[in-house]
Amino acid sequence: MLNWLAHILHWSFLRSGSVQTALLVAGCAAVVCAVIGVFTILRGYAFAGHALGDVSSAGGSASFLLGISPLAGFLGIAGIAAVSLEFLGVRRAREQDVATGIVLGAGIGLSALFLYLDTTTTNTTGTAVTVMFGSMFTFPASLRLPAMMTAAAALIMMAILYRPLLLSMVDPELATTRGISTRWVGLLHLLTLAAAVALAALSVGAVLASALVIGPAGAAVRISRRPGVAILLAMLLGLTAVWGGIWMAYESYYWFAGRAWPVSFFVVTIIFLSYLTSVPLQYVRRRRIVRAMPMAAHAGG
Amino acid sequence: MGAGLYRTRSLARRSHTLRVWSILTSVTVTGLGLAGVVHAKIHAVGVENQYANVIAQIGGKYVQVSAIVSNPNTDPHVFEANPSVAMEVARAQLIVRNGLGYDTWVKKILAAAPNARRQVIVAQQLLGLPENTPNPHLWYKPGTMSKMAAAITAALGKLDPAHVRYFDANVKAFDASLKPWYVAIAGFKAKFGGTPVAVTEPVGDYMLQATGCQIKTPWTLQAAIMNGTDPAPQDVSIQKQLLRRHMVKVFVYNQQVTDPLTASFLHLAEKSHIPVVGVYEIMPTGYSYQRWMLAEVQALRLALTRGISTTVLK
Repeated sequence: MLNWLAHILHWSFLRSGSVQTALLVAGCAAVVCAVIGVFTILRGYAFAGHALGDVSSAGGSASFLLGISPLAGFLGIAGIAAVSLEFLGVRRAREQDVATGIVLGAGIGLSALFLYLDTTTTNTTGTAVTVMFGSMFTFPASLRLPAMMTAAAALIMMAILYRPLLLSMVDPELATTRGISTRWVGLLHLLTLAAAVALAALSVGAVLASALVIGPAGAAVRISRRPGVAILLAMLLGLTAVWGGIWMAYESYYWFAGRAWPVSFFVVTIIFLSYLTSVPLQYVRRRRIVRAMPMAAHAGG
Repeated sequence: MGAGLYRTRSLARRSHTLRVWSILTSVTVTGLGLAGVVHAKIHAVGVENQYANVIAQIGGKYVQVSAIVSNPNTDPHVFEANPSVAMEVARAQLIVRNGLGYDTWVKKILAAAPNARRQVIVAQQLLGLPENTPNPHLWYKPGTMSKMAAAITAALGKLDPAHVRYFDANVKAFDASLKPWYVAIAGFKAKFGGTPVAVTEPVGDYMLQATGCQIKTPWTLQAAIMNGTDPAPQDVSIQKQLLRRHMVKVFVYNQQVTDPLTASFLHLAEKSHIPVVGVYEIMPTGYSYQRWMLAEVQALRLALTRGISTTVLK
């Protein structure tokens, strides 16, 4: 048994410094994305989450130009984009997609400029691939602390927002009479979403960030509609995806004679498969509900 | 001598000058009518500045050379051509480039502006290397530039038959000036052959092989750094062990293809007191091709004999 385990987990796996940093930073990203992702989906902001990821690529590419930490770059631009979304009227359902699309275009335009400047004025190599698709195994150890602090800040913010956010989703009028400013709650939610997106963009890349923000949470919400259960499920799925992906990328070194495949590919594949699995599970859940209370199920869809 | 004749100017200014020049020439030509023969210089482009340097050394006063990739602070693997570069390349009579995916964009520009009289020399074709040759940095290979020089001389002779003897004399001088480099390589190999070294990226590998050094860094790591793809943690561990446990005597560091990972290797080498030798994708400022190559071997020797780092060539 132990032999088998040692074979499965190549001994060097957990001893490698780059693997440890990748496990920690991507783990932080998965946990934060699980919590925020569930709310993002329940509020109907999945597209905004995707857009924030793409837009944050401008921050990632700018960080190489300025010589600052990529996390700071992703955080900065995602934060600015979140505020812009809120003020461009993302809350009015009809304008939401338009405003999001406008911010998305402007952000990616900036990335095009910054990536061009990166290649023509600096000696950095592979910036575009790193920013867009992530490069977990090149994380420096110095990234561990800032990543954990960002994750902690986002989780604390969600703990504070948990009840007001739920209430303003379920019953905005009741929330207002209780003195909750839906505008502030919405803005804080978007800012926390920006933090989650920054961590995800750092781990799996700006283009794939939405897979980590929306994917595990999307599968979890299909399986359970109760926010608490969905969050726990999303965490489980997210951690399985990132840690499993890191492990598979590590192992792929032995499969392909030293030409290991990128981590992001494995992470996103696991997320996609878990989402596919959630579809029949949702069907089973619905049937159970239908049997238990046919009236409510028909009325509620 | 060649370095003096060879001038680099900013491309924007160049294309402007060229425009003014062509207007002036046409004015002069119409003014003089058929009174005299205007002898124009051959317009040549060395895509990478080391090739431009060799063209200038052979063509001398009868050639006007420009280099496209000449900034030692950027990575040539990801060079992007702009319209003024495309114009410059398209109107050149002689083009010398490396090949092997290093400057594929030139091929596209040339295909878009066909010219039967244009002479094109590609190092890859001249050396008969297949497209899947993993290491494109051919100018570090002893023998490459001598062959290139011969091809350049032949091409210049076709474009300007009146000065064939001048070009022949220059190429002889060029070949002779490569000797000190060859001697330095042979001397190093005789004395320090088998020296284990670590590298970041394969740029200097041909020269290291010629000097008999053993490159301990896994090829897959070198390729990942060169191509900007994700390195495998296993390879990174091997590289770190090489440096930390003093399993290599020299760390050869590519100054032009860097990322946080290569910076961490550099830091580790310095912490472990392993001498560093900086290598370049293209010729650093203030050098001629042959002096640059010689300086690299000398730096390697200095690192081994006295433990001195030459991180940046000056």
